[in-house]
Amino acid sequence: MIKVEQLSKSFGKIRAVQDVSFSALDGQITGLLGPNGAGKSTTLRMIYTLLKPDSGVAYIDEIDISQFPIEARSRIGVLSDAQGVYDRLTTRENIRYFGQLQGMNDQDLENRMDELLIMLDMMSIADRRAKGFSTGERLKVAIARAIVHNPNNILLDEPTNGLDVKSTRTMREFIRKLRDDGKCIVLTSHIMQEVAALCDKIIIISNGAVAAQGTPDEILNKTRKDNLEDAFIEIIGSEEGLA
Amino acid sequence: MKNIWVIFRKETLDSIRDTRSWMTGLFSAMFGPIMLGILLVLLGSSTQDDLNNPLTLPVQGSEHAPGLIQFLTSQDVIIVPAPADFETAVKLGDVDVVLVIPEEFGGEFSSNKSATVQLVLDSSRQSTVIVVLRIQTLLEGYSSYIGKLRLIVRGVSPEVIEAIAIEEIDTATPQSQAMLLISMLPYFIIFVIFTGASPIIIDITAGERERKSLEPLLINPVPHKIFVVGKLLSAFPFSMASLALTLISFGMIFNIVPLEKFLGIQISLNVITLIEIFLLCLPVVFLASAIQMLVASFTRTTKEAGTYLPFIALIPSLPGLLLAFFSVKSNLWLMLIPTFGQQLLINQMMRQEPISILYIVVTVLATILVATIFTWLAILLYERENILFR
Repeated sequence: MIKVEQLSKSFGKIRAVQDVSFSALDGQITGLLGPNGAGKSTTLRMIYTLLKPDSGVAYIDEIDISQFPIEARSRIGVLSDAQGVYDRLTTRENIRYFGQLQGMNDQDLENRMDELLIMLDMMSIADRRAKGFSTGERLKVAIARAIVHNPNNILLDEPTNGLDVKSTRTMREFIRKLRDDGKCIVLTSHIMQEVAALCDKIIIISNGAVAAQGTPDEILNKTRKDNLEDAFIEIIGSEEGLA
Repeated sequence: MKNIWVIFRKETLDSIRDTRSWMTGLFSAMFGPIMLGILLVLLGSSTQDDLNNPLTLPVQGSEHAPGLIQFLTSQDVIIVPAPADFETAVKLGDVDVVLVIPEEFGGEFSSNKSATVQLVLDSSRQSTVIVVLRIQTLLEGYSSYIGKLRLIVRGVSPEVIEAIAIEEIDTATPQSQAMLLISMLPYFIIFVIFTGASPIIIDITAGERERKSLEPLLINPVPHKIFVVGKLLSAFPFSMASLALTLISFGMIFNIVPLEKFLGIQISLNVITLIEIFLLCLPVVFLASAIQMLVASFTRTTKEAGTYLPFIALIPSLPGLLLAFFSVKSNLWLMLIPTFGQQLLINQMMRQEPISILYIVVTVLATILVATIFTWLAILLYERENILFR
C-alpha cells in the first residue's frame, strides 16, 4: 500500500510536481496518466526515494520514506525508465546480484529465481550472457531482478513503452497476475488505452498537479462522457502528449 | 559489510569478463619496462662500441706527416686513406671524421711554427661526438708532446706552460651514471598504477550510467556509500596486477639483459627490493582508484571519462619526471606529497640506500589520508540525487 500526501518537487524554477496526493491499495492497479512531462516519473522517483521531495510525505506500507528510505526501498520493486542489464553477466547472475543486494539468503534466492525464470518463460536464456539479448528478453531480466525479493509494492514507469504488440500483451498479463496476487501496483503511462484497459484506479496528472482521480466509472460520471478517452481529454484540456 | 563483498564480487567478475579492457591495461604496464630496456641496451651498446673498438681514421695527405701518423698508429688508431670526395662523405655520414694534413705541414713543422691540420666533421651528428673527441684528444696529446720536447731541447721546464694542471676525479660510479637513466623508473611505476585502474573505474562509474543500469542499482535497499566503497575496491586487483606486472618486467630486464656488459654496471633490483616497492605502492593503488572514481563519476559517458582520466594519471607522475633531471634529496616534507614521496623512496630502494622508517610511515599515512578524502567526496557525490538525473 502506497500513500502520497502533498508531494512537491521543483527543478530550479520549474515546478515539476505540485501537491500531489493519492493512495494506491493492495490488490489494485493504480495508473498515473498524463502527457509527457506532466510529472509522472518525478512523482514515481520520489516514491522510490531517488529524488527527495521539497515538501510532502509518502508512505510505503505505512513507512515514511523520508525517514526510513532503506526500509522503504526493500518493500518496493521498481521497473524504471532505465532498464539497463549487465551484458557480461548471465540472466541468473543479473538477477542474483539484485537478490543479494536485497539481502536474500542463498536458498530463498535460488528458489525464487527458478520461480521467476518459469513465470517469465526465460529458462532458455537463464545461463546465457545478456549481450545480444532482444529488447523483450532484456525487459524480462529487468522485471525479474526488480521483483526478485517478492515486494508487496511494484512501481512501473511506462512499462510498455517501446514494446511490440506481443510483448505489450505479455506485460499486461503479467501486471494483472501481480495484481491478482494481492500486490499494490502503481504504473505511469501516457497511453489512454493502456490505462483504461488495466487500471482499477486512475490518477490524471497535468502540469505537475492531480487533475482528477477515481475509478474509471467515477471519472466517466464526473465528466458525463461515455468513453474514457473523451473523459481524459476533457479533464486535461488537450490531447497533446497523449497517445 | 556483506553488501560491499556482493558489489565487489559482481564488479570484479564483470570486469574480468571485459577481456579487452584489462588486456589493454596490462599491455601498457609492460610497455614502460620494455621501452626502458631497449633504450638501455641501445645506449649501452653504442657507448661500448665507441670506447673500446680500435679507432679508424681516414687521413688525407698522410705522407706529409710521418711522425704524427706513427704516433697515432702507436695509439691503436688504424689509418686509412680518405675517400676522394671526403667532405661529401662526412656530410652523408659515410665516415665520422677525416683528418687532412696539408702539404705545408712538413715545412711549418720543421721551422717550429704551428703546423696546421684540419679535422673535417659534422658537429650536428650526435653519434660522432665520441669519435671526434678521441681524435681531438690524441692530436692535442701529440701537439703537447712535441711542444714539451722543444722546450726541453731549449733548456726550459715544460711546467712553465702549464699554469694549471687539471686532474679529473669523477665521483660518479658506473652505477650512479646508469641511475640517471633509471630514475625514470619510479615515473613508470606510479603511472601504471593509475592506468591499470582506469578502464575498470570508467566501466563501473560512467559505464554504469551509460548502460542505464545505475538507477535500478541505486534503488536497491543499500546505502549509496556502500556502492562507492564496493566499486572502489573492485578496481584494486586490476591496479595491483598492473603494478606487479610492471615490477616483474623491470626486474626481469635488469636481471636478464646483461647491463654489466653493456654499461659496466649492475642494477640491484632483486626480489626483495621489488616486494618492498610493491608494498610501498599499495596506498597509491587506493589513491589512484579514489581520485579516478571521483572524476569519472562526474562524467556522463565512458568516452568523456576516457578523455579525463589519462590527465589525472599524468599529474602525479610529473614530480617523478623532475627526479629524472634534478637531483632531489629526500626530506620529511616531500614525504607528505602523495606519489612523490613514494617515487623518492623507490629511487632510494633501487640505490640500496638506507631508508628511514619514519619517511615510509609518513608517506603511507599522507597518501591514505588524501585517498580517504577523495573517497569521501565520491560518497557525497553519490548521495546527491543528481548523480542520476543530469
